Amino acid sequence: MKVFNKRRFFASLLTIGVLLLFSSCYSVRLTSTKGAPMPCQAGIDCPEDKSNYYRDKMVIVLDTVVKAGATIDDIGLRVQRENCESGKLFSVEYKNTFGGALLYLVTFGSKRKVKIKYVCMKPEN
Amino acid sequence: MATTTTHQTSNWDTLHKNGPFELKILQKTTLEGKANMPSEVDRYNDAADEIRRLLKEALDNNEGFRAYGARWSMSRIAHQKDRMHYNVFMNLDITISSNDIHSASPYKSSDLFFFQCGNTIKEISQALDANGKSLKTSGASNGQTIAGCISTGVHGSALGVGSVQDYVVGLNLITGPKPEDIIYIERHTKPALNNAFAQKINSKVIRNDGLFDAVLVGLGSFGFIHGVVIEAEDRFLLKRYVRKINKNTALKLAKTMDFKNSDFVIDGETDANGKGVEPYHYKVFINPYTNEDKYVVEVMYKKPYATNYPDPFDTIEKSVYKDLIHLLIKISEKFPKSIPWFIKRLEKQILPDVNEESLGTLYETFWDAPYQGPAFACSFGVDIKDSEKALKVLVDLTKDEGPIPGIYAMRFVKQSQATLAFTKFPITCMIEIDGVLWNKSRKLMSLKEFSRRMIQVLQQNNIPFTIHWGKNIDWAFPGLVEHMYGDKMSEWKEYRNSLLSEESAALFSNNFLETIGLANIFDNDDIDEDLIASLLD
Repeated sequence: MKVFNKRRFFASLLTIGVLLLFSSCYSVRLTSTKGAPMPCQAGIDCPEDKSNYYRDKMVIVLDTVVKAGATIDDIGLRVQRENCESGKLFSVEYKNTFGGALLYLVTFGSKRKVKIKYVCMKPEN
Repeated sequence: MATTTTHQTSNWDTLHKNGPFELKILQKTTLEGKANMPSEVDRYNDAADEIRRLLKEALDNNEGFRAYGARWSMSRIAHQKDRMHYNVFMNLDITISSNDIHSASPYKSSDLFFFQCGNTIKEISQALDANGKSLKTSGASNGQTIAGCISTGVHGSALGVGSVQDYVVGLNLITGPKPEDIIYIERHTKPALNNAFAQKINSKVIRNDGLFDAVLVGLGSFGFIHGVVIEAEDRFLLKRYVRKINKNTALKLAKTMDFKNSDFVIDGETDANGKGVEPYHYKVFINPYTNEDKYVVEVMYKKPYATNYPDPFDTIEKSVYKDLIHLLIKISEKFPKSIPWFIKRLEKQILPDVNEESLGTLYETFWDAPYQGPAFACSFGVDIKDSEKALKVLVDLTKDEGPIPGIYAMRFVKQSQATLAFTKFPITCMIEIDGVLWNKSRKLMSLKEFSRRMIQVLQQNNIPFTIHWGKNIDWAFPGLVEHMYGDKMSEWKEYRNSLLSEESAALFSNNFLETIGLANIFDNDDIDEDLIASLLD
């Protein structure tokens, strides 16, 4: 009986853990209704052959931890020049992760996980 | 100067991963910057020189050359094993003024626009919108390049308009490495631009209906399409309705296009006598695995443009997990009987919401179709009078010998003048099955086998048909193109042989053309030089 309860407890814990992981890791993407995305071709402009929304799009990934102070309110990042000749944004995806939220909490906001994917506009000729 | 980067590679694939196919060299040309060369015409001509240089390089190496854009075609039509040219960065547009119009032109100068090959439908739509204009029609989405659209016959479901190629009125080709290989072609009965304009783009002019119609759906084989002249129209709005209607009513409409005497009437979309008016667009969705007595239909009516309409874009877009789709397909390969159940469960994601209504421009209505993973599509054109019979034959095949992980739709397109347009019937009903790519298993036939069976059952039932050039099918099916086009096949080949030298014809051939029997070159003695003569100054 005791063994049964222990198993059930761990199974429940695992389920909660998985649910927490799923619910605490999600992404939201904002897309422009004008302009065309910067194209790319795997093996030429893009290092990998993507099988998702980003296929044939030149995606720039920002995956970093930004050091800040407890008094810092917001952090600004600039669009990079390489692979973003137009300097204009077509889409931006922000990813929220459980690890990122945890890092923010345990460091009292002094370390902030940033995971952003963006696609620039194709230059007009 | 325009610059080209050359990449040695081993393979190439379509957007929807219908390959991979072998490839030696991939090239990409970018234009000279506007700051260094302000004139659009100069940059356009500079790009033409660069393309001629690339063609010479290919010829010197005894290799083939083929341009491609957004690689949306699922067939091998865009593929060339030697050299492929990625042209999406060649996206200039050249302003046409009233001084550029031919004296016998039936077109208004304000409706004519000149676009370089790599412009996508989306870019063109935006350029037109800035001038208060719109394309007449597009495909169901906007990512294809203009050169790719016309070469393969991209269509929507505009009953009274036709396909993308049907509003093209002029074509600028580069057929070889010499300066005289730049040619501007248009119809002699409907000229668009004058000789002075052609001189500006360093082109020899040929005005000849037969040649123009052959080149129009040219399968990428008449040379490098560098520029395209299109006829646009004033911006308009589309009022879109999605309804679930009686199956027989939907099929009767498909067969007759008689909206006036149909039971299907939408409030407000009627004439003075309360009868239904003909819509701009009509589409029927068919889940082959349900026995429901109703079909979902999408209907659109053309409205004058106004500025004060609500935002037509859904602000929130959701899509099913790719992993889930992949899992369902893997299960389907082992247990095909589960496919109908899966399709029923995914119906909400696949079909538009019933009773949905929207109002927007063509650009807003047929907006981005995000990549959804490896996909297949088989698409047959039949005369609308055969649409019900053809649909039944194909659906029965799908149920009896499948099931296949896809659903059917019917779209309707006005006849094209292009020699090898698959929209060759007075109104062509395009019956298409779209779905997720699967692997052949012990219990599930391959896509190639399925597509072959589709051809066979249509032939067995004596239903004349055509096939979308950019879609999946067993293109090696014996005598396929001859069966579909009859004498038009040799007519198309004669024009190609007359326009291109033997070397150029080989240069712009590919495996697809060879497979369908359109690549072969005649002896020079058989060529009638008058065939491609310019018939109007």
